[in-house]
Amino acid sequence: MSAPLLDKLRAIVGPHHVLSGVDLSPYVVDGVTPVAAVFPGSADDIAAVMLAAAAAELPLVPWGGGTAAAVGTPPARGGVVVALSRLRAIVEHEPGDLTVTAQAGVTVAELQASLRARGQWLSLDPPDAERATLGGVLAANAAGSRRHLYGTARDLLIGVTAVTADGSIIRGGGRVVKNVAGYDLPKLFIGSYGTLGVIVEATLKLRPLPDAERLVAVPFERLKDAGAATRGLLASDLIPTAVDLLDAAAAAAMGLEAVPATLVVGFDGLGEQVDWQVGELDSIARAFGARGTVVLPPTAWSALCRAAHAAFDTPAAVMTFSVLPAMVADTIEQGTAAARKHGLASAWSAHAGVGVVTGAVRADADRSDPALVAAILTEWRAAARPGGHASVTWAPLAVKALLPVWDDAGAAARLMRAIKAQLDPRGLLNPGRFVGGV
Amino acid sequence: MATISVDRKGALRHELETIVGAGGVLSDPEELLVYESDGLTLFRALADFVVFPRSAEQVAAVVTLANRESIPFVARGAGTGLSGGCLPAEGGLVISLMRMNRVLEVDYDNQIAVVEPGLVNLHLSWAVGPRGYYYAPDPSSQQACTIGGNIANNSGGPHTLKYGVTVNHVLGLEVVLPDGEIVWLGGRTRDALGYDIAGVFVGSEGTFGIATKIVVRIMKKPQAVKTVLAVFDHVDGASAAVSSIIARGLVPAAVEMIDQLTIQAVEDAFGCGYPRDAAAALLIELDGLAVGMESQAERIVAACREAGAREVRTAADEAERQLLWKGRKSAFGAYGRVSPAYMVMDGVIPRTKLPYVLTRVNEIVAAHGLRVGNVFHAGDGNLHPNILYDPRKPGEEARVVEAGAQIMKVCAEVGGSISGEHGIGLEKADFMPFIFSAADLAFMQKLKAAFNPTGLCNPGKMFPTKKSCVEAGPVAYRPHAIEAQGLAQRF
Repeated sequence: MSAPLLDKLRAIVGPHHVLSGVDLSPYVVDGVTPVAAVFPGSADDIAAVMLAAAAAELPLVPWGGGTAAAVGTPPARGGVVVALSRLRAIVEHEPGDLTVTAQAGVTVAELQASLRARGQWLSLDPPDAERATLGGVLAANAAGSRRHLYGTARDLLIGVTAVTADGSIIRGGGRVVKNVAGYDLPKLFIGSYGTLGVIVEATLKLRPLPDAERLVAVPFERLKDAGAATRGLLASDLIPTAVDLLDAAAAAAMGLEAVPATLVVGFDGLGEQVDWQVGELDSIARAFGARGTVVLPPTAWSALCRAAHAAFDTPAAVMTFSVLPAMVADTIEQGTAAARKHGLASAWSAHAGVGVVTGAVRADADRSDPALVAAILTEWRAAARPGGHASVTWAPLAVKALLPVWDDAGAAARLMRAIKAQLDPRGLLNPGRFVGGV
Repeated sequence: MATISVDRKGALRHELETIVGAGGVLSDPEELLVYESDGLTLFRALADFVVFPRSAEQVAAVVTLANRESIPFVARGAGTGLSGGCLPAEGGLVISLMRMNRVLEVDYDNQIAVVEPGLVNLHLSWAVGPRGYYYAPDPSSQQACTIGGNIANNSGGPHTLKYGVTVNHVLGLEVVLPDGEIVWLGGRTRDALGYDIAGVFVGSEGTFGIATKIVVRIMKKPQAVKTVLAVFDHVDGASAAVSSIIARGLVPAAVEMIDQLTIQAVEDAFGCGYPRDAAAALLIELDGLAVGMESQAERIVAACREAGAREVRTAADEAERQLLWKGRKSAFGAYGRVSPAYMVMDGVIPRTKLPYVLTRVNEIVAAHGLRVGNVFHAGDGNLHPNILYDPRKPGEEARVVEAGAQIMKVCAEVGGSISGEHGIGLEKADFMPFIFSAADLAFMQKLKAAFNPTGLCNPGKMFPTKKSCVEAGPVAYRPHAIEAQGLAQRF
């Protein structure tokens, strides 16, 4: 199949950097096997691969660590996977500028280790840091618990280089922390899931490593109390870096006591600042009915953002909500009730201070038929309204067939399709997998 | 440059009045003069009409009419912009948002506010201040500039060093697209669904449409604030102190530099307590928890002293703090004391290149026989050289423009940018190739076409043109009509 294309790809990236046939199994998405997977050694290689794929009228699928490859509407057909793993250099890190430029294929963990050695860090803590790549994290707009204070990629990315659908290599933003020259292309590429271009290099703002950091768990007997405590905390003088909320199943997955609700709060800064805030948090928590606080080990951070996913060996589906922060506890309560009504358990975690909620449905041998799971997800989606939205972030193909993976973007969807049509008129970049069918 | 025939004008005026009401349309040339430029008076262009809608529906109706008639249109806030971005470069309609200036809603539980585009930036902080909140982006013109204008330019300000620029505080926008459709981009929640169109819209300089409602984050006022003034006998010492503060892992809310010429102008005008003989001063602000504030301030003081500060003092109370900030925020106005005119430059450089670039700026300006005052956001490398000149002297204005272009080239050469917060507009459209390739610009043009396929929405901005549509040639400076009347000053 496509022998001339494979030859062409081998000529571009070298014969050892093209996979085909049975070697493609790691790159199967929703049952669709790609035609080839290539490992380019430069942005120029990627541009040439882009043109080769276009000539063969095949889609091109950017690939980082693969951690978010299953997110999205199932692909209509296989294409050429462009894996970024050979492009993993840290191009420039000037500590005095508090910026770093790195190639897209570097893993988040590698990047952080290199920055840490010079007293700095990228204040972005997505799940699966060992596997997730910088480019993938940007394309999927992934973030972790510390987003409460430090924001997401849109607050940190200041420059991007990408290969576009016509095989051009383009740059947006720059290497300086403040820059309004031209359109803000970094914002365009963040969370665009590879549908507008292949991110090959990025420049980001950094922060100095804090002197001290601590993560504290606050167990509550009632979800409502935890919700009220969250509002109390946000209205206080404290400056937490993370404000997460876990239900019993998610708390248990982290090895915590399975109480109905656990607020998990992070602080950093000078030692005295962390000490003072942990003490104040204890007072706030008690005022809202908690018995006290428990300091967690630093290793708990990485478990925290996966808590809902980790509650079940293999969940039947996972949905991520964006709601108003004050609605987080209600969303969890309604979502739990909806799953229970259909006889299934669920697990919940949330970045409560910013209104990002993750719910997982438990796979149950007797009851998790796709129609049931889809019915629950449809009710969950309704719980995000009005004002919020909810999208399926993981589900088997049979469930994806029964409801839209992405929520309805309303009138803005037309604009998204117009952007896609301008920037990728032939629909070659990871087509059909994102919001509005782009 | 009016573009509409006299015959059509009467009919159009009538139609516009039907949409926005009889008092909402200007077409008298005398009245239009007020809207012929923004804060950068070097560029001027006359509209055919200025209209003052009161709602998104009225904006949409005006835009729909403009489309039907193929008339260009541009949104305008307070007109404090510094790049000519809101000028009607090809004539047509100026859509002033100044009558849409309400705070529509404040949701303290979720720390957001919904505002109209004509709301003055500072008025939002006033509205939420009594409950202990504020709106973080604080351009120096915040007493006059509007949130809608801030959206167009992705405006910054001194405190953006710690808190980010406008886009970092905007969650959603109701927008009238260039074809007249009203859509919401983003919303009230943190993460957008689909492409971050609201994020891309911010900073698009009015070429993607007109924002009619804006959802912004409001923030808790910090528990404690400390403001430090460090005085230096050498500019290099001040630059070194900036690097030293960053290297010590400190993240102040603001680090502003003010040079000698500016200090003297400010002292003449306002008497803010800066030493007149200093070569440069740094205004450094820390905010956050009360705990640890003292020890962080000590680290700042130590960094400044090591870099050669001859004096480092802390504002004793809120009144002294306000006075120090008044000097900084009113500096542009104070140049009027020492020069008949000045041109504000806006460039960004990596912080570590500060000593080199400041030297180059001074050399370039001197080589053109001109003087420069520097007052800028040193903490994030955002320079504002203000080139002083006398427009009555033949050729001087042309030398200012030439020196400005060279300064922008230096910013680009050291890996910086040609605008940190003022935008490209008309002023820097031809400088875009300093930092962007033809492919970069072509990609941006395609993006623009997705929003603005007819090009009627704010034409002639941001992209290099062979021939500017604005009246070219040496335009002698004259104070803008509203400046002359003492109604406005340039920031």
